[in-house]
Amino acid sequence: MNEDKKLNGRDLINIGIYGAIYFVILFAVAMLGMIPIFLPLLSVFVPILGGIPFMLFLTRVKNPGMIFVFAMIMGILMLLTGMGPWPLLTCAAAGLLAELVLKSGDYRDAKKAVLSYGLFSMWIFGNYLPLFTDYEGYFAQRADYGQAYIDAVQKLMPLWMAPVLLIACFVCGIIGGLLGRALLKKHFEKAGLV
Amino acid sequence: MEYSSKQSQEKRRGFIDPRTKLALILILALFVMGGLGGEQMQPLKMILSALPFALLLAEKQWTRFFRGVCILVCGYALLWIMPYLPAVLSYFALFCGGILTRFVVTIMMGEYVIATTSVSEFISAMEKLCMPQQVTIPLSVMFRLFPTIGAEWKSIRRAMRMRGIHLGGAKAGQVVEYQMVPMMTSSVRIGEELSASALTRGLGAPVKRTNICRIGFRAQDYLMLVGCLFVVCAWILEMCGVRLW
Amino acid sequence: MVELKNVTFRYGAAENQNGAKNSLSGVDLSVKDGEFVLLTGPSGCGKTTILRLINGLIPHFYQGETEGTVLVEGKEIRDMELYDTARLVGTVFQNPRTQFYNVDTTGELAFGCENRGLPEEQIYQRIDDTVASLGIEKLMDRSIFHLSDGEKQKIACSGVNVSGPDLILLDEPSANLDFEATMALRNMILSWRSKGKTIIAAEHRIAYLWDLIDRAVILENGRIARQFTRNELSVLTPEDLAQMGLRTNIMEAPEKSLLPVYQENDEPMILHDFNFSYRGRKQPVLQIPHLRLAAHEITAVTGNNGLGKTTFLSCLCGLEKRFRGTLEYKGRNYSNRDRQKLCYLVMQDTGNQLFTESVLEEVLISLPKNTENAEGRAAELLRRLDLGEYPDRHPQSLSGGQKQRLAIACALASGREILLLDEPTSGLDYGHMKETADMLKKLRDMGTTVLVVTHDTELIRHCCSRMISESSFQ
Repeated sequence: MNEDKKLNGRDLINIGIYGAIYFVILFAVAMLGMIPIFLPLLSVFVPILGGIPFMLFLTRVKNPGMIFVFAMIMGILMLLTGMGPWPLLTCAAAGLLAELVLKSGDYRDAKKAVLSYGLFSMWIFGNYLPLFTDYEGYFAQRADYGQAYIDAVQKLMPLWMAPVLLIACFVCGIIGGLLGRALLKKHFEKAGLV
Repeated sequence: MEYSSKQSQEKRRGFIDPRTKLALILILALFVMGGLGGEQMQPLKMILSALPFALLLAEKQWTRFFRGVCILVCGYALLWIMPYLPAVLSYFALFCGGILTRFVVTIMMGEYVIATTSVSEFISAMEKLCMPQQVTIPLSVMFRLFPTIGAEWKSIRRAMRMRGIHLGGAKAGQVVEYQMVPMMTSSVRIGEELSASALTRGLGAPVKRTNICRIGFRAQDYLMLVGCLFVVCAWILEMCGVRLW
Repeated sequence: MVELKNVTFRYGAAENQNGAKNSLSGVDLSVKDGEFVLLTGPSGCGKTTILRLINGLIPHFYQGETEGTVLVEGKEIRDMELYDTARLVGTVFQNPRTQFYNVDTTGELAFGCENRGLPEEQIYQRIDDTVASLGIEKLMDRSIFHLSDGEKQKIACSGVNVSGPDLILLDEPSANLDFEATMALRNMILSWRSKGKTIIAAEHRIAYLWDLIDRAVILENGRIARQFTRNELSVLTPEDLAQMGLRTNIMEAPEKSLLPVYQENDEPMILHDFNFSYRGRKQPVLQIPHLRLAAHEITAVTGNNGLGKTTFLSCLCGLEKRFRGTLEYKGRNYSNRDRQKLCYLVMQDTGNQLFTESVLEEVLISLPKNTENAEGRAAELLRRLDLGEYPDRHPQSLSGGQKQRLAIACALASGREILLLDEPTSGLDYGHMKETADMLKKLRDMGTTVLVVTHDTELIRHCCSRMISESSFQ
């Protein structure tokens, strides 16, 4: 049915299935993020673990737009869970980049799939953006979190961490993509899921 | 008694419209949790913080209301005893108290929305907001699958316990593998069967979907929405340097 | 109404690997308006494939090579979009847990009509009519996660009723149902019959609809092997059917088997204080102060759904942390933790209890550490359970019956003495049901104590020697 290039019902349901698994992982890790030490680690664990469902998801992607929609859904869910509008923007950008890379390989190229996931993972940076765009203001507003919390976060998140985190998202995304591919080969292909 | 689906849908209708809830979540996320706005906004923020509690009461969600109050009391108690504690403990108390008093509002709002919004109401609201099928279908599948994924997770944990596979000493990689592989396999299979069933019932047809959920704005919705608008206006005025009070 | 002309089908590589077995070759079948046709035959004979060809899931969802034509009301299914076919054909699927799109029952009933964009008022009317005519007021406005399998299947059928297509397909709808729920399903079919709907059912458990059908089509290896008209059906005996690899046509409640719970010479296994209720609920699920079971026998655990049979198994297995009951066996009292090492539960979703990447590996991790010649012992166990050919297969790629046998191999490897099975024969054909029965007997002869939760009367007849039923539970 590949001649039909528009997203059909099955594609949309697939986005829902893999999106649900991805979000459950994201949510489980984000619970750890309430503790300051784990805050930067979000950009490590989410891309790595999320690679498992995402790489399986990519094997179902045949029509253009699926990755972009997937990313936008994540953005909307972040908005709903109170992370503000920033992730929506990074999701749009990262989703578009990931989509273009995978499209350049005609949605089949395995290496480009890993790269595509790396790019996609950069949306997570959107969750840190409110902190870095207005560094002083962010902490001024959070005075009532307690000085201890602020000290801890400031120590962990100096301004120069911004590019580091962005790169970490990407690099861990690549690692997650490779891990996902490894599991795909080891389990899911043999199990008849692919 | 004759069953009437229309009446029972009407009876299940929440106190406020899901779209109003969305607006409230956004405002709370920006102003209370995100800390937007300065000195002048403080009184408005206090009112906003009380809002989830009021709504929980309005919908008779007693247990959730009391849970929220308990968290709040614990938080303030920690902040209050903080100065009398030795150094290390006092940091800890400050830290926990800060987090508790801060997050409780958003947590309560989340609890309120989850407790009082059914998935079909939510989807119906999204459709009314003119969201395309590309957004509503994946989202409704996700909400349908969350409980199922949770159940599968539990079932796999039990199976591991039953088989005597303990992960204490095992490598981290193995934990991920043992837990993730059956979970992915079964979630994907369930999802496939779900989509087969949904597609044979005409999901994805290029017509405007209808929805039997009763939603729509009433007086209380307009009141809340005007309130939200007021908060935003007050913030813009503050940014422009206008003193309101 | 429905016409298959010389249809040949082979699943594409994308669908699962036993695809080749499931394909059809040269099937001709025509079903008249208002007719009720039963498709039956051993697993993999192609009955589900035929249903998928009619409701359009083939070729729009499951891909493969199709030859020949499939017509419904004169229209070629291949050329129609799935959402257009949905107006003509309604399908009830096998697994009640995975066919719901909504989380509440009312929304589920409305789903088909909502997708079609019918006006709300009309949908309300249709729902109310269905609710009144089927008497399901009690099931309305409920969360689907709080329904029993039988209730879910009722909602699935009602959903088809609300959409109101003239052709209804049933894909093994009774596989997970107990006796009472199966009778309710039968009543549903009767009401469709009275409205003149055309029905095509694929089933292994044929007893409940045997006297309702106009025609039975028996498939073998993707071909129509035999057809029986109504008159020819009535002379067939269960023995004739068994000869053809089919299940019995006699509907019988499992309780009729009248087996003892315990006999004089049995070695006793005594349950103490088997009381349990879920957190936050007063109503107890289990209330067995004292019950004597027979060790080294095969005991059937029967009774309708929702009686806590599955809870009983997980309590017995030591998986409920809050459970305080004990098991007295060979002069020793076993607590929760001890029972975890004594009992082994083969779950209904067997896939969730297999973790590794190969069949052999799966057995190896179950063997006690430092077992001598572990590989040899594992291979021996696999051979004994007819899995010797597949040491390298991925456990998740096995068929349902094979997964079950693998789980049992793991139980034997870990040296557990008591084996518990939860509905091992749901959705199995005669041949596989008999295989399961024979295997359980073999296990008993090896000294294992077996408890089977089941409502499969045939399985009970074939292998069980003791039985606990409803009355023992409360």
